[in-house]
Formats: sequence, structure tokens, C-alpha cells
Amino acid sequence: MNKPTPLQIEQLEWIIITSNNAEEVFKRLEEQGIDPVLFGLTDKDFQLLAKNFARIRNHLKVTNDLLDKYKEYYEPEKKENVKDGE
Amino acid sequence: MLGIRLFFIGILASAVIGAGVYVMKLRSDNAILKANAIKLESAVAEQQELITQQKEDFKEILAANQKMNKLVGALKKDLEDLDKRFNKNNRDFGKLALEKTGAIERIINKGGDAASRCIEIASGAELTEQEINATKKSEINRECPSIANPNYVPY
Repeated sequence: MNKPTPLQIEQLEWIIITSNNAEEVFKRLEEQGIDPVLFGLTDKDFQLLAKNFARIRNHLKVTNDLLDKYKEYYEPEKKENVKDGE
Repeated sequence: MLGIRLFFIGILASAVIGAGVYVMKLRSDNAILKANAIKLESAVAEQQELITQQKEDFKEILAANQKMNKLVGALKKDLEDLDKRFNKNNRDFGKLALEKTGAIERIINKGGDAASRCIEIASGAELTEQEINATKKSEINRECPSIANPNYVPY
């Protein structure tokens, strides 16, 4: 059984918008040809999002390592063959 | 007289035939017993092999569990470190972003890229040479050093 292909994550840009820079930020977006609309999070919700991401990452890592262990146990010969072929 | 002689000959012949049949049965039983003994020895050997294998499996499972617990502990620490970065010394992240918008924007974008890389690594991506060789704080992925930088020892 082949392992799932590792994820390739798209990079995204965070923009901090405050009561002081809102006008400037929207102007910049318009200049760059981007729709002047932002999907917002409060600072608290940003922290929660970061922690949720970290939790998902941790879970993914544990699950992936478990899969490695099961593969090692159930497909030891196949693994050796792959090593030989390298 | 002839009748008596025939009678004794008959008895003798019966005894000889009976003895022969008995010996043949003994031989047959002996062969069965030998075959059973061989099967038993083979079964015992298989059981021994199975027990040895089970012992080895148990050791491996124990080692794997220890390794997994260590990993879970390290990942938990990464999560705690993230929490500390937001709230260290009663830091108000929102206020900080209001005062130093540009700097915080750069920091969270850098952190976001690092967190994305962590997801890739957690999903099975190979580590780069740079990640493997990182030993200094300035070189590591601060979001998940436990999985991204195997040679980094926190100091």
C-alpha cells in the first residue's frame, strides 16, 4: 500500500487592518487590482486559528507516524525491497 | 489321536498367527506414535517460534509506544510554546498589532509560512538539508521544531 502524497500548502498573505490603517490598506488593494474586501478575524480568533492549525498538524503527524509503524510491521519485505531499489 | 493332534496344531497355529498379528499391530501403533511424536515436536517448535516472535513483537510495540509518547509530548510542547508567544508576560497581541502593525504583519506572515511547512512535514514531506542541519534558534522552524529540526536541542 502506498502512503498518501505529502501535502503542498499554498502560501497566503495575512494583512493586519486596524482603525488607523484601514483606508490605506483598502487603497493599496485597489491599486493592486484586488477587490477591496477582507475576511477578518479578531486578535483572539487569530490565536485560536493558529492553535487549531497546530492541533491539526499534531494529529496529522501522529496519524502519519502510526501509519509508518503499521507499514513497517505488515510490509517489512516490501520496505526492504524499496530500500534495495534506491 | 489324530483329532487331538490336529486340535493342538490348530491352537499352535492360531497362537503363532495371533502373535504375528499382535506384533504387526504393535509395529503399526509404534509407527503412529512415532509420527505423532514428530508432529508434537514440530508443533512445540512452532509454538516456541511463535512465542519468540510474540516476545519480539511485544518489545517492538513497547518501543513504538514509547517513541509515540515522546512525539506526543514534543508536539504538546510546540503547542504550549505557540500559546506562550501570544501571551508571554500578559502580552496583548491585539494592542501590539495596533501599535506595530507592519512588524506584526511581517511576523505573522513568517509564522504562517512556517506553520504551512509544518503541515507539509506532518503529512510526510521529506526534510530539507537546511532543516536537518538547523541547531540554532535563528535557523529552526519555530512553529514545530520537534518535527522540522531533529538536531535542534532547545537551550
